[in-house]
Amino acid sequence: MMIRICLADDHAIVLEGLRALVDGEPDMTVVGATTDGDAVEALVRREAPDVLVLDYELGGRRAPEVIQALRQGEQVPRILILTAYHDGETIRSALESGAEGLALKTASPQQTLSAIRQVMAGQLVFPQAARRWLEARQASRSDEVTAREREVWGLIAEGLTNVQIAERLALSENTVKFHVQHLFQKLGVKNRTEAALRHATSGRVPRGPTTG
Amino acid sequence: MTTAEESPGTASLRLLATGERELQRIVLDMHDGPVQDLFAAMSHLQLLERELAAQPEAQRRTQQSIHLLERALGEIRTLIGVFRPPGFERRDLGAILEGLVVQHEALTDQSVELTLDPALGDCPLPTKIALYRILQEALANSHRHAAATRQTVTVERTGAQFALTVSDDGRGFESRRVLAAEADVGVEGGHFGLRGIQDRVGMLGGTFTIESAPGRGTTLRVTLPAA
Repeated sequence: MMIRICLADDHAIVLEGLRALVDGEPDMTVVGATTDGDAVEALVRREAPDVLVLDYELGGRRAPEVIQALRQGEQVPRILILTAYHDGETIRSALESGAEGLALKTASPQQTLSAIRQVMAGQLVFPQAARRWLEARQASRSDEVTAREREVWGLIAEGLTNVQIAERLALSENTVKFHVQHLFQKLGVKNRTEAALRHATSGRVPRGPTTG
Repeated sequence: MTTAEESPGTASLRLLATGERELQRIVLDMHDGPVQDLFAAMSHLQLLERELAAQPEAQRRTQQSIHLLERALGEIRTLIGVFRPPGFERRDLGAILEGLVVQHEALTDQSVELTLDPALGDCPLPTKIALYRILQEALANSHRHAAATRQTVTVERTGAQFALTVSDDGRGFESRRVLAAEADVGVEGGHFGLRGIQDRVGMLGGTFTIESAPGRGTTLRVTLPAA
């Protein structure tokens, strides 16, 4: 089976090189490529690739932001982030963004090819050193949004503040804060606006056991 | 002139932050230029290498070129790792130290046991920079010189100061002799970069102790004022 790949990198020379290399592999084909961070979603929608190789910094947009936008869509490809930086913050944010793997531009492009095959095979490809965060991600993935969190989420989407939510649900403000914090972690969002936006498409995120 | 009224201490601390910003710029230039070019060139060469299967000599030369570029990229990877400031101004102390430990582990395949005080609180910028660079130097020393298999790092806040402790089970050394030698030759010639650590601690009015003996591992402890 051919792995269908889209490439997104704002360095045209990198795209050109990687495209030639990938197309030279018997089991891979590049179905689309872009240097424009704002064009990634449209490209993925159009081509529905198996794997998206995504530069960590794509013009003004960073990979986590692009991934979050992609997750609003119907079809989310497996995502391999390509970066020159292997510092803790980059590794961690790549992991937390929900990407399947990380490949380095300061290593052989051959390793990028291997990583594409690994994420295609369902593996998570991150440095061993990131295990502490990997475990946390796996734990939080198995955590579903609880009924209470879903309730809080709905009120956030209505534009209520924590104080107002506390009043409405007869909870203390601290308890609400606690639920909001966990909800954001589970949804992978940074703020209320993102949580509210996500609420509009909440059919695609894990539901609590007692919702309906 | 207002700068003339500034105390030498304040000027040094400001220079510290300026130095970090300079490093940031240099790393960015490396990232935007050579890294992209080398990675693209290697992609082409790896493809070419496969197409040259019928010409063994040409294929061999291509493989050689690939190895050389790979080595150059590897060196750049280390340089970026060492010099790139971790976002001192926007991230808190715990996050940057944890990130540093993970980066060290990823680079060296060494395992580090890190314990962070959950209540580290706010940390002034010069102290944050100093703790990061000191921990970086200490981890690198123990990897380069001590042949340690195990490293532990503890960061605590006790009242008005931060305390950083870095221990390893490596071969150790005669600390008095090494420190004396470093005092003579200065930072550049120093074996262990301990002089650099001492200078940073001195600038901020902290304390620095090192316990080590041949065959008994090394424990380095630094305290720095939290305000």
